[in-house]
Amino acid sequence: MINVLYLDDESHNLTAFRAAFRRDFHVHVTTEPTEAVRILREQPIEVIISDQKMPSLSGVEFFELIMPDNPDPVRMLLTGHADIDAVIDAINKGQIYKYISKPWNEAELKSLVEEAAALYHQRKVMAREGQQLITKMDEARVFARRIQQLTADGFPATPESRAEIAELANQIDRLLQS
Amino acid sequence: MSKKRFRWSIIAWNSRSLFVLLCLLGWSSSFTGQGYIGKRLESLSQKEIPELIQVNDLAASEQWVPRTEVVPNLGLSNDTQWLRLKLDPRIENGQLIEIQNAGIDELICYMVCDGEIIATYERGVFYETPVDSRIGTYPSFPIPLVECGELQALFRLQSSKPLLIPLRITGPREVLRGAHERDVLFAAYFGVILVMLLYNLFLFLSIGDRSYLEYSIYILMVGGTQLVLNGYAPVFGAENVPWLNLRLTHFFGVFSGLTTIVFAQNFLRLSHYVPWLHKLLNVYFVLYVVAFVLTVFDLLVWSYSVINFCAGAIFFLIPGAIITMRKGYAPARYFLIAFSVFIAAVLVFVLKDTGLIPYNQWTFFALPLGSAFEVILLSLALASRINQLKREGAKAREEQLELAQVNEKIVRDQNVVLEERVKKRTFELEEINSTMQGTLNELQSAQQQLIQSEKLASIGQLTAGIAHELNNPINFVSSSAQSLRRDFEDLNAIVEAVKSLPANDPNLESRIQDIHTLLGQLDIEFTQQEIEELLNGIEDGANRTSEIVRGLRIFSRMDGDNFIQANINELMNSTLVVLRSNLRTQSQVTADLAEDLPEFSCQPGRLNQVFMNIITNAAQAAESTDLALEEREVVVSTLRVESIGQSWIEVRIKDNGVGMDDAVKAQIFDPFFTTKPVGEGTGLGLSIVMGILRDHNAEVDVQSEVGLGTEFIIRFPI
Repeated sequence: MINVLYLDDESHNLTAFRAAFRRDFHVHVTTEPTEAVRILREQPIEVIISDQKMPSLSGVEFFELIMPDNPDPVRMLLTGHADIDAVIDAINKGQIYKYISKPWNEAELKSLVEEAAALYHQRKVMAREGQQLITKMDEARVFARRIQQLTADGFPATPESRAEIAELANQIDRLLQS
Repeated sequence: MSKKRFRWSIIAWNSRSLFVLLCLLGWSSSFTGQGYIGKRLESLSQKEIPELIQVNDLAASEQWVPRTEVVPNLGLSNDTQWLRLKLDPRIENGQLIEIQNAGIDELICYMVCDGEIIATYERGVFYETPVDSRIGTYPSFPIPLVECGELQALFRLQSSKPLLIPLRITGPREVLRGAHERDVLFAAYFGVILVMLLYNLFLFLSIGDRSYLEYSIYILMVGGTQLVLNGYAPVFGAENVPWLNLRLTHFFGVFSGLTTIVFAQNFLRLSHYVPWLHKLLNVYFVLYVVAFVLTVFDLLVWSYSVINFCAGAIFFLIPGAIITMRKGYAPARYFLIAFSVFIAAVLVFVLKDTGLIPYNQWTFFALPLGSAFEVILLSLALASRINQLKREGAKAREEQLELAQVNEKIVRDQNVVLEERVKKRTFELEEINSTMQGTLNELQSAQQQLIQSEKLASIGQLTAGIAHELNNPINFVSSSAQSLRRDFEDLNAIVEAVKSLPANDPNLESRIQDIHTLLGQLDIEFTQQEIEELLNGIEDGANRTSEIVRGLRIFSRMDGDNFIQANINELMNSTLVVLRSNLRTQSQVTADLAEDLPEFSCQPGRLNQVFMNIITNAAQAAESTDLALEEREVVVSTLRVESIGQSWIEVRIKDNGVGMDDAVKAQIFDPFFTTKPVGEGTGLGLSIVMGILRDHNAEVDVQSEVGLGTEFIIRFPI
């Protein structure tokens, strides 16, 4: 189940949101930004939805606030009226994935959350694969350095060293193929 | 009659009179000198004889002094003088003694025959001569036809005029003849005078030139003087008024002198040509007036002396006329000639009295003759002067006409130029006018647009706020409805399960067990709680929506600008409702509205615009500070106050925002003044607010301090 965090100063919205999606997602709701930060720390949140217009701080400001510690969760902005400047600004800075206008369409919102969650997981996988690639590259670099040492004084004279170079080349081949 | 012919006719007339005078002159030349016997006379002053002496004793006196002159001059004094004339009874009785001086005031003649007074004649101005004794105009005394050893004529003389004694003894026929000659001559003279007088009077009446009147009076005076001097005073009937008769010579002297001065001054234009002489003549004028006063107050001898002295004034007229002539005043020539003749005549008249030239009819008539010439010449001079004046006038008129024509031409030309210019300017002005009208129209439409855009901006702000306010409830109401449906389906499933229980199912227990399992699966307790919450949300959403709609309805009474009765608190509340969503993120807005405020006549829609503007500004000012949201305050209050004898509704909108300095504060109501960056705000908000408040006769006071905040105080009269 997807972990969704929803921040809004209007508690009725929170109730409605939870009632609508509790059957599909793990729904976390709060009216307080500080509470939201706490939830982020404790729960594996994949998607964050925030209302734009809040008295203490705006949705965009909230996203800016949590970005350094929580870069991964996909962020979506809920706007009551078309505060289009804020939305443009937020998208350009790469802080949000989508924006949703009130009143929301339940089905649309549900699929958006699912897409966002998919994106989140895709990013996770890609990140993991990237990490593996980096590890392999590091190993391959070690073999390559050894070959450099062996061939430093011109063509290798001994049959032992020639056999070792062939072995190293096979190792690199294997790494790159995986 | 043309000017020229008129002038010639005057000169022709004058020439004719001159001709007549010349004829007279020729005739009078037949005059023979008469034998005055002054050298036979002996004189004695009253002062030298005893006071109470008998006339016959006096006749025998040894004090008599023989006279040496042909015409004795006993001088001018108040003293009584005596003259003695020894007569030869043999050849002189029956003859007449004639003294050709009509101006002696008192002249008594005693005929003394051998020491006895045989006849007394009272003559002179004092006495009325019996009609049957009059022979001519001069006093005469018949020498009685008596037998006497020694016949003497004693004369007692007293006069306020010089005592000149032109005395002769002659027969009555000769006296009559002389008198007749004089009569004729003086008649001619007075004829001339009269004609000139009437002629000039006529000219005065027809032309209206004042100098003719002056001249007429002058002629009258000169003629009158001659008349009186020569014993024609009775012509005036002056004998019946002795007081006047006695002073007639003096009066005529004074008035002829005065008129001479006035006439000469005006004729020669002395004030213009010879100012010093003009002033000098004024002095003489005053002296003549003095002489007049002396005459009236019986100081006749003094008066005569003054008149005599003043007569010298005419000598100044000669150089005056010469100077005037030299200065190009042509009529002065005639004047010069006329007065030269007159002065010559006067010289002759005076010299004959001194004995330097013989005393005869010629010298005797020199004065009237000169006077007549003078009068005629002056008349010519006057005509010349009038002509000169006319010429000058005509010339001046011609010049004026010419000038006027030139002026007219210039004016006409100028007019054309001016008209052209006016036309051009008018055209330009019209063009400018139409341009300005166009600009004005553009400005008006721009103003309308600006006001409209400001209104639209307000409405935009409003709709954004309201949209947000409405969005939330709509959002959770609609979302909750869907959730409720699902929850209801869950509940329905239970209900259906319960409903499908047969009343007498033997497996009831296990079915109930199934339902319980279903209840557990559906987490029905949570669902029930959720339904409760959702219903609360829907209820709240409905309430809020209706509240907003109600506020909107009040707020949006922007229909027309009619004044209607409205409650200020209601307006304020509706403004706050529609602004709530905007204000919530800017500052804490609190309202402190007084209860029981009366409704008052206002334009609610426009007042909402006022409050929205000011409250929004206040919230923005608070937001611009470093204060936290909880510390930013906007306080809106309404109150009823009594001040300067009137009731007011006072609205205060106070913030703890950034405040304004005096320079900014002074401009906030100016159109297009804004502290916001370019592109934000039209700068019209408060200027429109001011206009609206002015329409409500409201008083506005703004108090502000940088860093502390601003307070708007608005008072509506009720």
